Amino acid sequence: MDATTVLAEINGNIATVGYGLAAIGPAIGVGIVVGKTIEGVARQPELAGRLQVLMWIGIAFTEALAFIGIATYFIFV
Amino acid sequence: MTDARPESADRTPTSNPVLRRALAWGGVLAAVVLVVSGILGFVFAGTEGLVSALIGTLMAVVFMGITAASILLANRFASSDVFVGVFFGIVLGGWLLKFIVFIVLVVVLRDAPWLNPTVLFLSLVAGVIASLVVDVLVVAKSRIPYVSDVRLPKAPTDD
Repeated sequence: MDATTVLAEINGNIATVGYGLAAIGPAIGVGIVVGKTIEGVARQPELAGRLQVLMWIGIAFTEALAFIGIATYFIFV
Repeated sequence: MTDARPESADRTPTSNPVLRRALAWGGVLAAVVLVVSGILGFVFAGTEGLVSALIGTLMAVVFMGITAASILLANRFASSDVFVGVFFGIVLGGWLLKFIVFIVLVVVLRDAPWLNPTVLFLSLVAGVIASLVVDVLVVAKSRIPYVSDVRLPKAPTDD
């Protein structure tokens, strides 16, 4: 079976791949944000309050793209 | 391992007031975005547009607010010995649960005949951006003492 035939067998909406990407990206981003926060709090526990706020704003920005990416399901046919 | 801080110290992190303020201002701005997107949705798509705009804005603001709410909830366990584990369990578990619920809602609502998907998407994007603006403004105006989580022991007194 040649490559063209295999590709022709794939059917469905290509936008589905995008929803997967919209989940992977923010997952990696939040992982880095949280991991670095743990690192920072481990180094300086007295800064936990400040670092929590920075972590929260980092998570907010990262997840915003995830929400918009997944919500494109509403407009992509 | 010995703890340098005195036992009676309140270990609640100093981030609580900032997060509470962000939630409160987020609610205020959500009301404004709800009214504006509702009016625009009604003008462009009738009653369907109005309902879609309200649902889209509510989804955006509620789901963006869950992060701050989960941190506030987790900070209640600040004096626990397993605080770090509980904190990240609640915050990240809440994050995961939030996205599962969001994806299920999106799948369920997409084919609802009483909704206008385009208006819903646009109002959701507007709600997300508005929520980010509030978060940034609150953080930019917040004042968190640099080392306020430390409680110095009392000075020794002569008995």
